[in-house]
Amino acid sequence: MKKELKLKVNGQPYDIFVKPKTLLVEALRDHLALTGTKRGCNSSSCGACTIMLNGMAVKSCSILALQANGAEIVTIEGLAKGTELSPLQKAFLDHGSYQCGFCTAGMLMATTALLTENPKPTKQEIKEGIDGNICRCTGYNSIIRAVTAVVKGEYKEAK
Amino acid sequence: MIKDFEHFAPKTLKEALTLLDKYQDEAKIICGGQSLLILMRQGLVAPEYLIDIKGISELSYIKSDGKGGLKIGALTTHRTIEKSSQMRDGFAVLAEMETRLASIQTRNWGTIGGNLCHGDPAGDPAPVLIALNATLKMASLKGERSLPVEDFTLDYFETALKTGELLTEITVPAPPAHTGTAYTKFNIIESDLATVGVAASITLGAGDSCQDIRIALGAAAATPMRAKKAEAVLKGKKISDALLAQAGETASTEADPISDMQASEEYRRELVKVLVPRISKEAMARAKKA
Amino acid sequence: MSEYSVIGKRVHRVDGPEKVTGSAKYTFDLVLPGMLYGKVLRSPHPHAKILKIDTRKAKRLVGVKAVVTGKDTLGHKQGIWRRFPELCDEEILCREKVRYIGDPVAAVAAIDEDTAEEALDLIDVEYEPLPAVFDPLEAIKEDAPQVHDGIELNININRHIEWGDVDEAFKKCDHIREDQFKCSSQAHVCMETHDAVVSYDYGGKMTVWTSTQSSYYIQRLMADMTGLREGDIRVIKPPTGGGFGSKFELDSAQFCAAILSMKLCKPVKIVLSREEEFTATKRRTPMYYFLKLGAKKDGTLLAKEARVITEGGAYTAMGATALYLTGFFSSFPYKYPNYRYDGYRVYTNTAVTSAMRGFGAPQSTFVGESQLDMMAEDLGIDPIEIRRKNGMTPNYEVPGQAFIQSCGLHQCLDKIEEHVKERGKLPPNHGIGVSAYGFMSGGIFNWFDTPYAFSAAVVRINIDGKVDLFTGACDIGQGSDTTLSMICAEELGVKLEDIRIHAADTGICPPDLGAWGSRETLMNGNAVKRAAAECKRQLLEFAAAKMAPNIAYDFDIKDRWVHLVDRPERGVSYFDIVKEAIRGKDGNAIMGRGHYTPHRKGMISPAYSFGVQAAEVAVDTETGRYKLVNVTTAHESGTVINPVGIEGQLEGAIMMAGGYGFCEDQPMDEGKILNPSIADYKLIRSLDMPETDILEIDTYEPEGPFGAKEAGEGLTNPTAGAIGNAVYKAVGVRINDLPITPEKVLKALKEKEKKKK
Repeated sequence: MKKELKLKVNGQPYDIFVKPKTLLVEALRDHLALTGTKRGCNSSSCGACTIMLNGMAVKSCSILALQANGAEIVTIEGLAKGTELSPLQKAFLDHGSYQCGFCTAGMLMATTALLTENPKPTKQEIKEGIDGNICRCTGYNSIIRAVTAVVKGEYKEAK
Repeated sequence: MIKDFEHFAPKTLKEALTLLDKYQDEAKIICGGQSLLILMRQGLVAPEYLIDIKGISELSYIKSDGKGGLKIGALTTHRTIEKSSQMRDGFAVLAEMETRLASIQTRNWGTIGGNLCHGDPAGDPAPVLIALNATLKMASLKGERSLPVEDFTLDYFETALKTGELLTEITVPAPPAHTGTAYTKFNIIESDLATVGVAASITLGAGDSCQDIRIALGAAAATPMRAKKAEAVLKGKKISDALLAQAGETASTEADPISDMQASEEYRRELVKVLVPRISKEAMARAKKA
Repeated sequence: MSEYSVIGKRVHRVDGPEKVTGSAKYTFDLVLPGMLYGKVLRSPHPHAKILKIDTRKAKRLVGVKAVVTGKDTLGHKQGIWRRFPELCDEEILCREKVRYIGDPVAAVAAIDEDTAEEALDLIDVEYEPLPAVFDPLEAIKEDAPQVHDGIELNININRHIEWGDVDEAFKKCDHIREDQFKCSSQAHVCMETHDAVVSYDYGGKMTVWTSTQSSYYIQRLMADMTGLREGDIRVIKPPTGGGFGSKFELDSAQFCAAILSMKLCKPVKIVLSREEEFTATKRRTPMYYFLKLGAKKDGTLLAKEARVITEGGAYTAMGATALYLTGFFSSFPYKYPNYRYDGYRVYTNTAVTSAMRGFGAPQSTFVGESQLDMMAEDLGIDPIEIRRKNGMTPNYEVPGQAFIQSCGLHQCLDKIEEHVKERGKLPPNHGIGVSAYGFMSGGIFNWFDTPYAFSAAVVRINIDGKVDLFTGACDIGQGSDTTLSMICAEELGVKLEDIRIHAADTGICPPDLGAWGSRETLMNGNAVKRAAAECKRQLLEFAAAKMAPNIAYDFDIKDRWVHLVDRPERGVSYFDIVKEAIRGKDGNAIMGRGHYTPHRKGMISPAYSFGVQAAEVAVDTETGRYKLVNVTTAHESGTVINPVGIEGQLEGAIMMAGGYGFCEDQPMDEGKILNPSIADYKLIRSLDMPETDILEIDTYEPEGPFGAKEAGEGLTNPTAGAIGNAVYKAVGVRINDLPITPEKVLKALKEKEKKKK
C-alpha cells in the first residue's frame, strides 16, 4: 500500500515509502524530520507550510507527497549555506521580521521564491509575494522592510 | 483525516481515461488538489481511487487556435496563465483575473481546469471565461465533446462532467474587433474568494453603440451565470450612464444569490447592481482602445 | 538616555537565529521515544446531559492504547480565579453535562493521529439534549435555561466600580448622550494551535511541554486537577507560536494528554486542530455596552456611566477579569470626576469567552472613543480638543482605583494633531479618525491566589563571565526573552551576548505569573534587574577590595569594565573580577535573586501607558467597502528597552486590532461557530495591511525597570475606535456594532440617504 517516493530535499536525495494519502508536509516533517516547515491551518490558507518545489513557492499541506515524486525541494533548513545565513535570513534578523516564529519558515520560503523569480520586486509585488502567508504577530510591514533591504542589495549572498 | 485510497499517476491522457473508465464513480481526479484535498481532509470526499493527472504534460499548454484565439490545456497552472506573454490584448483580462486568485503558492500548483471542475460559484476563472465566450473540451474513452463554459456548472460544486470524462482544454475565441473585457470581484480581504464577481465583455459597433455584450456573474447564484436580461438592456443601444444603471438593476434582479457569512442576499444584489455598470464601463473603455 | 549601552539599541532577538533557520523546536515539533498521539472527543450539542459513554469499541481498535472520560479524572473543577471556588467551574473532561459545542467528553491515545481520530468515531456517547441559550440578553431572563445549576439569571459574576456622585453630576451637565454598542467576538488565531506533550513516569513525576503563556499557572492548575504535588509536575515552555491571551489557562490538550499519560506511563502528545482551536478554545468577550456620558458646553466631561453585559460562554475562565478591566478602562484615558460601572458576565451555551490581547479594553476603547467623538460633534468641539481637555496627566489618581505616575497622553495628542494637519485636505470620502487609549503594565490582582512573588529571577555568573538568567517569564513571541536579557546585561554592565536566558521551565526557574496583562517588561524586568543588581553588588565588593580606592568612590560596571563611577578610566576587567570573586567565595558561583510584587500601587496596575492613534480610511460609497489607508500611532511606553520589539508590537497590534474593527468575527448559529477555519475567518493579510507610522513619545516610569512600561496589549485598544471614527469622518455614518463591515456601512449610508429625502 505504501509507495516509493524519491525526493531531493535541500540537495540531499531521499528514497522513502509513504502512504498515498501522505501530504508533502507530512513527508518532510514526519518522515524526514525536517520540522522547520510548519502547519498552521490544513486548509491552504495560512502559508506556514510554504516550501520551494522545483523553484516555486507552494503550500506543502495541499500537495500529496507522491505528487512531488522526483522534485527538488528546498525547505527552511536549506536556506543557510553551512552556518552562513542567507541574505533574507539576515535581513529578517535585523528588521525583527518575526516574533513567535511559527510563520517564519513559510515567510522566508515565500520571499526566497519571490526573489528567485523576480530579484527586483516592487513593494506591491513583495506584498503579493507574502499575501498567502498569515502572520499574527508582526503586521507584515517589518517583513516587507527586510525584503526591501535585500532587494536594495544591503545583504550579500554567502559564498 | 484523509481516508486511505489507491493512487494512480497516469502519464498520458489515454491512461487517465482508461483508469477513469475502469473505476468510474469510485475514482476521483486530482490535479493541483488545492480544493480537493481540503474536502478530503474534512471527509466530505473519500474516493477509493485517486487518479492523479498532475503529471500529464500533454495537457499543460497555452497555444494559438490559429484564428486569433487561445487554446489552454486544462492542466495549465494559474501562475502560468498569469505570467504568459500570450495574455495580452483581448486576453489580458485572464491574467488580471489570475493575479487576484488566492495566493501565489496556490496559483503555482493549482490549475485552471481544476478550478473549473471544482464548480465553486465564487471561482474567478468561470465568469471571465463566460464573458470571453470560451468553450470547454471534455474527453472520455468514448470520444470528445465541447460545451460553452456558461453551461458547464450545474449547481453548487456540480459540473456537467459525466462519469469517465475529463476536462482537457479551454478554447477562448478571438474577441471580435472593438471588444473589451474586464473583471472585478468584491471581497473584504484582497485575495479572498469573491463575495460577488462580475465580468463583462463589450463589442462596440458604429458610433460606439453596444453591438454585443456578455455579462457574467460569480457568487451571485448557485453557478457562475450570464446576466442575459442585463445584456439585453444594453445590446444594440448607445451606452449611457442611465442605461448602465438600468443594466445593473436588471442584473441584480436576475441574480439569485444566497445569504451567508460573507454577505446577505440583499447586499450581494446591491453589489451586482453597482459592479455591473462599473465593469461594463471599464470594458467599454477597453473596447474603444482595442 | 544615551548612557545605556544595551537598552534602546537595535539588537537581534536572542531567539532569532533559531527561528530564521527553522531549528527552533516548538511543542508542535516534539517527538519522544514511545510517544502516543491523543485526540479529544467533543460535544456536538450546545447543552446536554451525558447519559452514557461507551468506549468499548474504541478501546478494541488496533493501535488504541487508552480511552479516558470524566470518570477517569478526580472530578475537580478548575478555573483561574482560584481564590473563588465558586468561579472554578470547568471540569475540562465533562462528567455529567456539556455546556457548549466543543466541550470535551473523552480522549484517546493511540499509536498515531489517524488511529486516534478513527477511535473517536467509535466512542458512543448518549446525550439528552437540553434547552440552550446563546445570547446573554436572553440568558438573563427569568425563564432562560440554566447553564449552571443554581446560578440565578445565569449571572456568572458582576462588577461594580464607582466614584464621585454620578447622578448629581448628570444633573449639572449641559449635554448628555446615551448610546448602545455591541462588541463582537474575536479569535486569537495563534499560528501554533494549543498543544502539549505530557510524560508521566512510573516514579510519579510528570513533565509537560506545552505552548503556554504561563508555565507556572499550568503547573499549579495541573496539580489541582491531578492531585499530584506541584513539585512533581515540571512544565517546560518550548518556543511558543503565539498566545495573545489564549494560552494561560489549563486547556484540553494539556489536561487530556496528562490524564492519558498517567494511565499509560507513556508520553502523549495532543495538538488541537485548527477547527478545535476556533471552536473549543477561549475567545474575546463579546459585549453589549450601554453608555451615558455627560459634559459641560465647553467639553468638560462631568460624568460617565457604563453598563455592560458580556457573553460569558459556558465557563468563567478569565472572563471575570475581562469584565472588571473593561469597566475600569471605560474611564480611560480621561479624568472623570464621577464615574459608575456595572458589568454582568452571563453564562451562555457558547464557546468560553476570556482574555484576549487588550483584555476588555479594546471593547471599552471602541465604544468610549466612538461616543466621545459623537459628544464632541454635538458640542461643536474638535475631537482632539475634547480629549486634550479631559485627558489624564502625570501623577493623576483615578479615585480609589489607581495612581498614574508617568503619562504622555498630551504629547501624543499634540503629535497626532500635527499628523492630521500635515495630511491637509483629504480626497473625497477619505476620513481620519482619532482614538486615545491607556493600558496597564501588569495586573496587581491575585485571584489566582499564588503565594509566590508575581515575578522572580535568578542570575548566575559563571567562571568565564557568561551569565545564566533564570526566569519564569514566558516568551510567546512578544520578545520577553530578549527584553529581559537586555535588562540583565544593562544592569550587570555586560554585553547582550554574555547573557543566556533559561525561561519558563518550572523545574529550574522561579515562578512567574507569565505573559498576560502586559506584565513581563515591568514586573519581570524589575525582578531581573534586582537579581542582576545583587550579582553586581557581590562583584563590586571584590572590585573595591582589589582596587582599594578611597571609600568615597562608587563603583559600577559597564561594557564589561568594572570602574569608579567618577573616574571611569580607573577599573578592571569584568572577567577578571568574576574569576577572583568566585575564587574568593570558595568556588561558589556568583548568584543573585530578585523578585517583584507591586505594593501600594492601587488595585489595578503599577503603571500605565498611553497613546493616540489616527486611522485613515477611504470609503467606496456605492459598496460601503473601505480601505485602511494609514494608521499612525503616537504612543509612550516609558523608556524603550527594545525598539525593534516595540515596532513589532505596534504593527502587529494594528493587524489584530484593525481586524477587530474591520473584518474579524465569529458568527454563530445555535451556538455553533460558523467559520472555524482560516479560509472563512477573515484575517488581514499583507495586501490589506495599511501603512503604519509610529511617533515615539519619551516618558519615564519611576516604577519600571530603567523607566520602562508596557508596549504590548495597549496598542490593540485604539484601532477599532479610530476606524469607526474615520468612517464617520469620511462619509458621515456611525457603526455601533463591530466589526464595521462594508455591508453595515452601505446599509447606514442608504438609511442616511432615506432620511435626507
